[in-house]
Amino acid sequence: MRILLVDDEKEFVSTLAERLSLRDIEADWVTSAKEAEKIVDTRHYDLVVLDVKMPQMGGRQLKQILEKKQPGIKTIYLTGHGSEEDYEAGSAEAAYYLMKPININDLIDKIKIALAREAI
Amino acid sequence: MNIHTDPLGAAGLAFYSKISASISHEIKNSLAVINESAGYLEDVTLMTRKGVPLDPDRLGALASTMLKQVQRTNTIIKNMNRLAHSLDEDFKLVDVNELMDLMAHLSERTVVTKGFRISVTPADTPVAVISHPFFLENLIWLMVNFAMTVCGESKTIGMAASKAPTGAEICFSGLDRLTEENFQDFLAQDAGMLVGALNAACHGAADKAMMTLSLSGDIHHPEAVQKK
Repeated sequence: MRILLVDDEKEFVSTLAERLSLRDIEADWVTSAKEAEKIVDTRHYDLVVLDVKMPQMGGRQLKQILEKKQPGIKTIYLTGHGSEEDYEAGSAEAAYYLMKPININDLIDKIKIALAREAI
Repeated sequence: MNIHTDPLGAAGLAFYSKISASISHEIKNSLAVINESAGYLEDVTLMTRKGVPLDPDRLGALASTMLKQVQRTNTIIKNMNRLAHSLDEDFKLVDVNELMDLMAHLSERTVVTKGFRISVTPADTPVAVISHPFFLENLIWLMVNFAMTVCGESKTIGMAASKAPTGAEICFSGLDRLTEENFQDFLAQDAGMLVGALNAACHGAADKAMMTLSLSGDIHHPEAVQKK
């Protein structure tokens, strides 16, 4: 399984990737939607973990672009933002919608469940 | 509070809610970084117990990351506290440079998320006016939000303070898509009400791509700010 993490908080996303790799999950990370678009052109990912609120382009818009590039790619949203409206919209679109700070074991469980499901 | 009987209070509450949501988002982001760093330390501890050697450089970097995030959160909370205390008194002496700096910080996440940036230019010398700090902050917030809707390709909003013969001015520049029509529409909403309540004036100059908030007040000498 190969995961892509996209979040504009570099120290968060790089450390999370490192921790996932310690658990034998191959995870690449980028800090912007633009970088995500580029890397997805060159590598295949089973699942992408997207920050909902990022400068220039948020996770919800990026999800649509990545799905066109790699149909069937699964998505988990991450956010520090807790509005009910965002939660409802995000939950309907992605496999999961997780609030920061996250528990890594929770994230791994959700990744495994999402990958075991049909494409959402 | 009722929007019909107390529109000024309702505008203030809406502003305070938006800022609070943005601040809580920022704090959560910072906590997430600290959480991953602490989690990584936990991972390293487990690995060390299994005989994997420690990497002092990596540990040092983690400590530095956590300290930086604590500092970041402290600044966010300090600004939140400054905003909360701006309701302590009604009209008082307001340091315009300080207030502009506070609003640039409080608006930052919203502005950056929308792909813009604010370039702040304080007045050369301290400049102060008698005003209602909270509602002045509310008005500047609305002006920043409006500025994003009419900003040009540079995506940079200039915000500069200066002394004026009757008080102080805050000028927003880089508003290439400002028109007389959209400016009047803006003033027809809460911003116009706040301009009136603060006894201020707001002018748009589409040909110069800027709008100016003029704050009247007798006290605008550096000594007044220093004595505050």
